[in-house]
This record gives sequence, C-alpha cells and structure tokens, in this order.
Amino acid sequence: MGYILNQLLNGICQGSIYALMAIGYSVIVGVVGMVTFAYGEVMMIGAFSAYYIFIYVGNNLPLAILAAFAGSFIIGIVIYKLCYERFFTAPRHISLLCTIGISMLLKNLAQIVFGPETKPVLNVVSNTTFKLNIFGAVLNIRLLQIVIIVLVIILAVALTLFFNKTKYGVMLRAVSQNKDASYLMGINVKRTALLGNCIGCGFGGIAGILLGIYYFSVSATMGSAYSMKAFAASVLGGLVDIRFSALGGLCIGIIENLGIVVTAATFRDIFAFAFLILVLIFRPQGFVSKKGARV
Amino acid sequence: MKKRVLALMMSLTLAVGLLAGCGSGSDDGTTAAPDTTASAETDGGSEDATEPAAEGEFKGTIKLGGLAPMTGTYAEYGKGFEIAFNKAIEEINAAGGANGYKLEIEIVDTQGDTVTSSTLCTDFAEDEEVMAILGDFTSGACKADAEIVDRYGVTLLSPTASADDYASMSPYCFGIMGRQDVEAPFLAKYILGKYLPEEMGVDVQKVGVIRVDSDWGLSCYNNFMKQAENEAYEVVVETYATGEKDFSTLITKMQSEDPDVLVVMDQGDAVFQIFNQADAVGWEIPHVALGPGTSEQVAAQLTDNNNLIVTSPFFFDPSDPDLAAWAEWFEGEAGFAPTIHPACAYDCVYLIAEAIEAIGDGEVTRDAIRDALAELPAYEGLSGTIEFTEDGDIRRNYMICGVKDGQWTVLEGFEYGAEGV
Repeated sequence: MGYILNQLLNGICQGSIYALMAIGYSVIVGVVGMVTFAYGEVMMIGAFSAYYIFIYVGNNLPLAILAAFAGSFIIGIVIYKLCYERFFTAPRHISLLCTIGISMLLKNLAQIVFGPETKPVLNVVSNTTFKLNIFGAVLNIRLLQIVIIVLVIILAVALTLFFNKTKYGVMLRAVSQNKDASYLMGINVKRTALLGNCIGCGFGGIAGILLGIYYFSVSATMGSAYSMKAFAASVLGGLVDIRFSALGGLCIGIIENLGIVVTAATFRDIFAFAFLILVLIFRPQGFVSKKGARV
Repeated sequence: MKKRVLALMMSLTLAVGLLAGCGSGSDDGTTAAPDTTASAETDGGSEDATEPAAEGEFKGTIKLGGLAPMTGTYAEYGKGFEIAFNKAIEEINAAGGANGYKLEIEIVDTQGDTVTSSTLCTDFAEDEEVMAILGDFTSGACKADAEIVDRYGVTLLSPTASADDYASMSPYCFGIMGRQDVEAPFLAKYILGKYLPEEMGVDVQKVGVIRVDSDWGLSCYNNFMKQAENEAYEVVVETYATGEKDFSTLITKMQSEDPDVLVVMDQGDAVFQIFNQADAVGWEIPHVALGPGTSEQVAAQLTDNNNLIVTSPFFFDPSDPDLAAWAEWFEGEAGFAPTIHPACAYDCVYLIAEAIEAIGDGEVTRDAIRDALAELPAYEGLSGTIEFTEDGDIRRNYMICGVKDGQWTVLEGFEYGAEGV
C-alpha cells in the first residue's frame, strides 16, 4: 500500500511538470494556431538560463525561475519571427518544418555554447523528506516534490487569472478564438500572437528548470524526449485547452509511473503513448468536452 | 475535425518513432564491399608510395576513421576520445610517422546511438582510403558495427567495448578495454563478497541491481549473475532505457525490496543520477557501480561525495610522473580529469601505428593492418599491458576505487583480486 502510494506521488510530481509543459504548449498552439516542434529546446534554454543563475548567483530558486521564464521568452521571440510571422497565410507544414529546423539549430548551438556534457544542478532544494502515515502505510514526501507541485499549481492559477482578468489575457483569448474577428475588433493580431508564443515558451522554460532540479542535471539534449510528452499531453487536452492539457500531463505522469510498478522503466514511453492512442481512439477530441474550447 | 485527425496521426507517428528508437538494430545495408587491398594514398599525389612526398618527410598518408559519441549521454567520453586520438596522431607524426607514413584521422559523432554509429561506420568502410576504424564507445554500437567491418574487411579497434561477445564477432574486431566476463564477476566476488563485509561491515545477502537496457548492460548483468549465483546472493534487478532521466519510480520500487547494496550498471550520466535520486529520498545504502570507471564527471556530480565504489582496471597514479603529466595535459585540454577511456583511445592509435610498423616494406592494406595487429606482441601502453587474445580482445586485472570527499582514490590495488574469479 505504502509502495503504491509512493509511486502515485512520484507520478503526480512528474505529471505536474508535464502539466506545466503542456500548459505552455497549449498556449502556443492556441494563440499562434500552429504546432511547434522546438518546444523541447525552448525548455532546455530555460533550464540553462536558470542553471547559470545557480552558478553565478547561488541557489536562488525564485530568481532562477524568473531567468528561465525570461530566457525562454526571448527565444520565443526568435522562434516567432523565424517560424510563424511570415507564414500565417502559408500552408501549415511550412511553419512546422521551420520549428523542426530551429529545434535542430538550437540543440546544436547549445552543445557548442554550453558544452555537450551534463551539468549538475545540486542542492537547490533541501533533501528533506516528510513521512506521512496513512492507515499504516508510510508515504515519503520530499520537500522538492512539494515545491514542484505547489509551484505548478501557482503558475497554472496565475495564468488562468491572467487570461480571464487582464486586458492582454482577453486579447489572447480573442486571437485564440478567431484571428479575423480579433483584427476587426482592433486587436494587433501579430503582436498578440507573439506575446502568446512567448508566454507559452516562458512556461516551457520554467518546466525545463523544474526538470533540472528534479533530476539534478541539465544538458543540451534534455528537451527532445520531453517535447514529445508536452505534445502528447497537449493533444489529450485537445491541443488548445490549457486546463485539459494540464490534466493530460498529469495523467501521463501518473500512468507512466504506475505502469513501471508492474513492468520495467524500459516500457515507460509505451504506457504514455498507448494511453494517448487509446484516449484518441475513443475521444478524438481528447478530454475536451466542448467543441471549440480555447485558451 | 481535420485538426483532430491530424493530431491523431501525428501522435501515432510520434509513438511509433519513439518505440522504433528503443530498438538497437543495425543497418545491414546491401552495398557491395569495395576492394580492400587499396594501398595507402600517397602525399602530394605521388604514384610511388616509397618515395618521400613533396613535403619530404612521409612516404604517404594513412587515413583512419574515428567513431566517437561527441554529443549525447556519453559526450564526456567522446570528447576524451577526440582529444586522445588527435594527441597520439600528433605525437606519431612528429616522430616521423608510422613506418614513414603520416597518420590522419577523421572523427565523426555517433551520438552514442547504435544506428548512427553503424551508418557512419558504413561510410568509413566504403571509403577505400580509410585503412582502419577506431571506436566506437559502447559495446552495443561496436557490435552493430562488427557485421559491417566484417563485410568490408576493415579493422575496427574499439578503445572501450567490453562485451565479451564483441571481438569474437569478426576477425576484424578488436578491443582493449578488457572483458565483462572478468570485470562483472570481480565486482560480485571482491567488492560485494569481500570489501563490503570486511571494510564496511556490510553483510551482503540481497543485491539491488539497476542497469541500462542495452547489449552492454545485459552482458554486464549476465556475467555478474554467474558469480552472484556462486556467492548465493539474492538479486533483484530493474532496467531502464538509454537516455532515461527519471529514476524516482525505480528507486521507490527497489527500496521496497530492501537490498543490502545498490549496484548500478551503466557508463553515462545515469550513474550519478540514480545515486542522487536515491540520496534524495533519504535511502542510506552502499552505492556500487560497474561501468563508469573513475569518471570525473560522475564524482563531481554526486550529492553524497563519500558513497561510491567502482571496479577499475586503471587509475592515474599521481606518483607516476608520466601518467601524472599525461593526466595534467589531458585535463588542460578537456577541462576534466581523464579516466581509462581516453587512455585506451590514445593507446589504440599507437597500436595501429605499431601494426603499420610491423608490416615493414609490405603494402599497407586493410588486411595487412588486421593481420599485423592480431600478431602484435605484448604492448606497454598508457593504460597498461595490451596483448590480444585469439578473439581480438584483452584480459585486464581490476582494482577497487572509491569516491572520498569528492575525489577518486584507490581503495584496494590489483593484488586484492589476485586470486582471480
């Protein structure tokens, strides 16, 4: 019982990071209207931005998170200018191929600039473990897991408030729902799409450093595998709905970890993607219940 | 609707691609083998290889191919390969070349990936100017390349492949790291069965093994199990795919089995990541690793810098002036201290040079290099004595090293396992 509970907690923690990745991804797809395959590298840039804060400033987590957001936000501008801005009216595969290209470019540049070796991210959060007794079963909760889960919840709530309570949030939702109508209402669609892309990238960057802290390391190639997970979680959420994308990320994290309980870690991705395929077979729209639900 | 269909198709494509990536198949290709008796290219386009080239120093140029994981999980080792290969070639050429021939090497990045390695190995094999190939790093990649070099008739000399069934796959395959059927049993007998009980007071009955799911990892585990059965250990094992980052689930699973010692079998970043994630859940258990040697990268990234024991056939002894000077030079070039891996890469170039010297006045061909290499007498290299077995690999002795205050140190020397396994 305690063993299953601990694995469930592992899944919730990992799923929380996937959820943050998926939220960022859904914002990009929802506002820009195009799929990206450079998201893993955006996460990597965020992780390295925070890593250098740890190196030069010390283990200051809030500052590192700001740096991760800022670093990825800036890369979001570059990606938007290169991959999206000129191709809004072009066939969608053009921008998709551009994001694949920039993904390769960023990964290789990172290997040159940051070096190919894995960098350590140690002791950012204290190695404290709390033991919780639940009907005789002992649940080991790490402080790091609490920090990650709480941080993801705060960020998700903050983004929801931003979308619902601010002028820019309303503009982003408008662009997400109908670009032509938004243009006619006087919204600068290109600038708003740029902002949405950058916010989505910023969230990806924060997810990147959370992965770094959770796994004690960052590397130039760290993003590739997680890019697929973000995409999968986002697809589960109907690609553009941040709440259901977050739920998708959480589900993937939990399914992966519980799957390993009965088999081996080698099959981690099989569980994640088998779950994705099963859901899409029975609910092609993902978890989304309303047609046309957007950010 | 179109978007949903597109999303479903892309998801299926991604899933299939990811699962295909888990495989470790090799490219068996269908291209016919080139003429393997091609002679060494002469410098300056001279027809006569015995005449000095225009530069007046060399008979000609012999091109080598270098396979190394310059990026990815094993990037530290690939960088070490590159530095060591180039250093040895520079030294040999500065001393007049190998039998009067200038050596040059083209190093390509295999990314630690089996399929990439076999593709690049095929490129070298099809290039008639390439007389021998050095690399790759992992046993899995080398085994994937074995069929290719066998078909094209070109020597593959790996500095680090240690799977006991690698070198025997082809007469053209050689390796100088030593074999897993010696190192893994050594770990079971001397670290788990002798050092831990005698020096640390840990009576090992139950062993938890977490290993990479690769050819190398399987070879390690199978050889370890042969000795573990003799020692009557109860062994619980968990595997993970290459490139895995999240070990929290495995740690929780292994922790529930309550083993006496945790053994990790891998060579890359996973070694310190597993131990760090075990530390993070407050699991106090002796850490033992098979594979990383005395990797500086591993020692520098441990959260507990007093809890790791490894097997190693080699250690840069600071009291040996030659070794210390080489280590200092390497660290200056690489930015991190050397392990046995770059030392073996360095030795590989010298072994090829020795083979070319042994050919004497004969024509330098791919087959001539292979034959000369197989018949080389015992060679004293940087990494120790190298004498090929009939299979084309070597047998090494092992010592026990450990991390103390973040630094590698020899815990027990070669004499500790002198009885053998």
